[in-house]
Amino acid sequence: MAGLFGGSALRRTGRAARSWIPFFVAIPFLVLIEEYVAHNPALGLEYAFQNINHIGIAIILAVSLNLVNGLTGQFSIGHAGFMAVGGYVSATMLMRGPQDDPYRIFFALAVLAGATAAAVMGWIVGKPSLRLRGDYLAIVTLGFGEIIRVVIENTPFFGGAIGLSPIPHRADFAMIWTVAVVTILVAKRLRDSTHGRAFLSVREDEVAAEAMGIDTTGYKVRAFVISAFFAGVAGALSGAFEGNLAPQSFTFVRSFEVVAMVVLGGMGSITGATIAAAVLTILPEYLRAVANLRMVIYSIALILLMLVRPRGLLGTRELWDYLRKKRPPRAPGQREASEFLIDVRKATIRFGGLTAVSEFSLQVKPRELVALIGPNGAGKTTVFNMLTGVYPPSDGAIVVLGRDTRGLSPHAIAHLGVARTFQNIRLFRELSAFDNVRIACHHLTRESMAAAVRHGELSEQEENWIAERAEELLSVMGLSARRDELAKNLPYGEQRRLEIARALATGPQVLLLDEPAAGTNQREKVELMELIRSIRDRFGVAIVLIEHDMKLVMGVSERILVLDYGVTIAEGLPREIQSNPRVIEAYLGEKYAREHAAQIAAAGGPH
Amino acid sequence: MTDFFQHIVDGVSLGAIYALIALGYTMVYGVLQLINFAHGDVFMLGSMIGWYASSRWTQEAAHPSWLGALGVTLVSIMACAATGFFIERFGYRPLRASPKLNSLITAIGFSFLLEYGGQVVFGPNPRAFGALPIDPSDQFRLLGVAISYVDVLCIGVSVALMVTLQRIIFHSRMGTAMRAVSWNPSVAALMGVNIDRVISFTFVLGSVLAAVAGILYASAFRKVEPLMGLMPGLKAFVAAVLGGIGNVQGAMLGGLILGLAEQLVSSYVSSSWKDAIAFSILILILLVKPSGLLGKGTAEKV
Repeated sequence: MAGLFGGSALRRTGRAARSWIPFFVAIPFLVLIEEYVAHNPALGLEYAFQNINHIGIAIILAVSLNLVNGLTGQFSIGHAGFMAVGGYVSATMLMRGPQDDPYRIFFALAVLAGATAAAVMGWIVGKPSLRLRGDYLAIVTLGFGEIIRVVIENTPFFGGAIGLSPIPHRADFAMIWTVAVVTILVAKRLRDSTHGRAFLSVREDEVAAEAMGIDTTGYKVRAFVISAFFAGVAGALSGAFEGNLAPQSFTFVRSFEVVAMVVLGGMGSITGATIAAAVLTILPEYLRAVANLRMVIYSIALILLMLVRPRGLLGTRELWDYLRKKRPPRAPGQREASEFLIDVRKATIRFGGLTAVSEFSLQVKPRELVALIGPNGAGKTTVFNMLTGVYPPSDGAIVVLGRDTRGLSPHAIAHLGVARTFQNIRLFRELSAFDNVRIACHHLTRESMAAAVRHGELSEQEENWIAERAEELLSVMGLSARRDELAKNLPYGEQRRLEIARALATGPQVLLLDEPAAGTNQREKVELMELIRSIRDRFGVAIVLIEHDMKLVMGVSERILVLDYGVTIAEGLPREIQSNPRVIEAYLGEKYAREHAAQIAAAGGPH
Repeated sequence: MTDFFQHIVDGVSLGAIYALIALGYTMVYGVLQLINFAHGDVFMLGSMIGWYASSRWTQEAAHPSWLGALGVTLVSIMACAATGFFIERFGYRPLRASPKLNSLITAIGFSFLLEYGGQVVFGPNPRAFGALPIDPSDQFRLLGVAISYVDVLCIGVSVALMVTLQRIIFHSRMGTAMRAVSWNPSVAALMGVNIDRVISFTFVLGSVLAAVAGILYASAFRKVEPLMGLMPGLKAFVAAVLGGIGNVQGAMLGGLILGLAEQLVSSYVSSSWKDAIAFSILILILLVKPSGLLGKGTAEKV
C-alpha cells in the first residue's frame, strides 16, 4: 500500500485517464467507419447501419434499465416515459436552437439537457414510490409512462399527437455507438464497485442490507435516477437519428420490449442485456412474415423463461465470469475496540395493544460477552430489532456509542458500530460468500459513484483493501475455501458462520448474534463457543448473544439477562441465573419451582 | 346543478365497474401478495368473448334479447373463469416459492399474451358490441336528472355481486379459508386448509367478477377491442391501492372514488386528461398513506 497517501493528484488523474484509453482509441475507428463504410453507396450498407444504430440505442436502454431491474431488483416498466422526456426536451432545443452546429457542441448540450430532465423526472417518480417495498414501483412507472404520453399528446408545443418533425439529423453511427460504449462502461464500473454491491444487496435482502449499513432507499433512488438519465440520452439520440418523434412510439409496448431485453439477457448481467438488446432488435426483421405474432412470441418466451430459468439466460453473471479462476486466501490481522458502547434505558415497544418488551435496560461494556435468554416469545429478537433500528422503541432511549439512535434508520445504526446476525439466516443468497462479506464493507469506503466510474486510484486501492479484508474474515471463519460459492449452496453451519463474517465486516463495536447455535450439533456447539471467544479476543468487540442452548450460554457468557413476556426478570452472573427461582419458574413452570424450592435453595440461590 | 348530478350517476356507474375489477386484484393480492397484471386482460376477454359469442357463434347481436344477453354473459363468465384458473395453475403456482419479481414478470407476460393473442384471434380492430337489448341513450328522468337504464343496470348488478361476495368471504367455509390463507398461508395449511384450492378459487372468483364487468363495460361503451383491458385494468388496480390493497371493502370504495373523479375531471376539465387523474391519485396515495384508505400498515417480520 505504498501509494495510500503518497499519490499526487496528478498521478490520480493520470491513472483515471489511462483507464479510458481503450475507449479513446475506439472513437477514431467509429468515425472512420462512419465516414467510409456507413455512407458508401458502393457497399450498400445503409440499411444495415440503420439497424446497427437501432441496436446501439437499444443497448443504451437495456443496459441502463438493467441497473434498476437487474442489479437493484426493483421493477420499472416505464423506461419509454423517460426516453420520451429526454427525446422531447432535446428535440425541442434542436429545432429551435442554432441550425449551424460545428463539432455538434450544441447537440451534445441538448442531449445532456434531455437526459438531465429525464433524471429529474426519475427522481420525482422514484422518491415516493421506492420508499415502499413490493411491486408498487411497477405500477407507478407504468402509470408515469402513460401520463407522460397523455401530456405530450395534449401539448401543442410538443407537436401533440402528430409529433415533432423535422428534427435535425445530428446523431450518427459514431455518436450512438460512442454513447452505447460509455453506457456499458459506466454500468460495468458501477457494478464492480462497492456501489454495485450495494445495489445487489438491495435486490437480495433489504433488511439484511440495512443491517450491514446500506441506505437501501438511497441506493434504489440512485439506481433509478441514473437509469432514467441514460433512458433520456437514448431518447435524445433516437429523435436526432430518426428525424422525428411521435408519442405513439413511447407506449407501454416500448417499455415492455426493454424489460424483455433485460429479463431475457439475465437480470443483472451487462453482457446479457447487451446481447439481448441486439438480438431482440434484429429479430423483428426476421419475424416480418409473422409480424403480428411478434408480441405473442415475446410474451410466451418471457413466461417460459420465468418457469425454466428465472434469472434469465446469463443470470447475474457476465460472459467472462464463466472463465474466471479462484484466488488463494490471505492471512488475518488485528483491530482495536473503543470504550463506550450500548446503553439502553427503559426501552419499551408496543405493537398495537401488545407490549412486546417493556422497560428493557442493558449496558454493554467493551469486550463484554452478554447473553439474552428467555422462553420463546419473550421478546429477545425484538430487543435486537430495537437495537438495530428495525423497530423504533415506543418509549425509552437507546444510546449507541454516545449517540441517541431514535429516528436513525438501520443502516445509520450499523454505521455507528452495531452489527447483527439473524435468527432465520438472511444472507444474500444469490451472491458468493466473498461478495456477501464485501457488501458489508460498503460503509467503510469513501469512493464516490463518479470515482468508481472514472476508475481512479482511490477506488482501486479501496477495492483492494475491501478484498483483503473480506478474505481475512473468510479465513478467520474457516470459509476461505468457499470464497466463490453462492451463499445458498453452503451447508447450514457455514451459512451461520458466513453471517458472522459478514457482520464483522461492517467493523462493529458490538456484535449481536441471534441464536448462532440453532440447528447445530453438540460438537459444533463446542466449536462455536471457542469461535465466539476468539472473535471477541481477535476483533475486540462486545458480543450480545441470544441463545437457547444453556450449556453454550453458561459456558461463554460473562453476564446474563433473562426476559419473560417482555419483562426483564433477572440479571446476573451465569451461576446466579442458574439458581434464580424466577428464571426456573419461567422456564419450567410455577409448579416445578414450588416443588423443588428446597433443592434450588440448596444449590445456592441468589445472595 | 342537474348536470352535476348526471355526472355523479355516470361516475358511480363507471366506479361500480372499476370496483368489480378491483375486487379481483385485491383478492389475489390478499392471498398471494401478487399484483396479477393479467387481470385487466381477463376483463377484456370477458368483453371480447361476449362479442364473439353474440356475433360469431350465434345471431344474438342481430336480435338482442334479455335471455340471450344472460346466455352470452354466462359464456364469458365460463371462459374467464377458465382463463383465470389456467393462468394461476400453470403460471403462478410453479413460481410460488421463487422471488415475487418472477411472478410479476410472468404476470406481465400473460397480460401481453392475452392482449396480442387476442389481436391474433379476434383481430386488432375495435368492434361494436352492446350485449344488452337496451341502448346507453335510453333514459328516464328522476327529479330532472336524466338517468340511463344502462347506468341503473351497472350499479344494480355490481351492488348485487358485491353483496354476494361479502357473503362468500365472511359467511362461507371457502371464504373463511380465503381469509385464513391471506392471514398466513403456512399456518392455514397446518390447520388443514387446502391452499392450492383456495388460491384457485380466488382466481376463479376474481375472473368471474371481471367477466361481468367486461359485459357491463361493453354495454355502457358499446365498443370492444383486444387492448381495451389495459387502461381499465390499471385504473382498477389504482382503485384497489387507493382503498387499501387486500381489503375487499377498500376496493369497492376505491373504485367508486376513482369512477367519480374520472367522470368529474372529464366533464369539468377535459376528457383527454381523464387517464392522468388515476395515476395522479395513485402517486398521491402512495405519498400520503401507502396502506390505502381502509388498509392497515404492516411491519415486515424480521
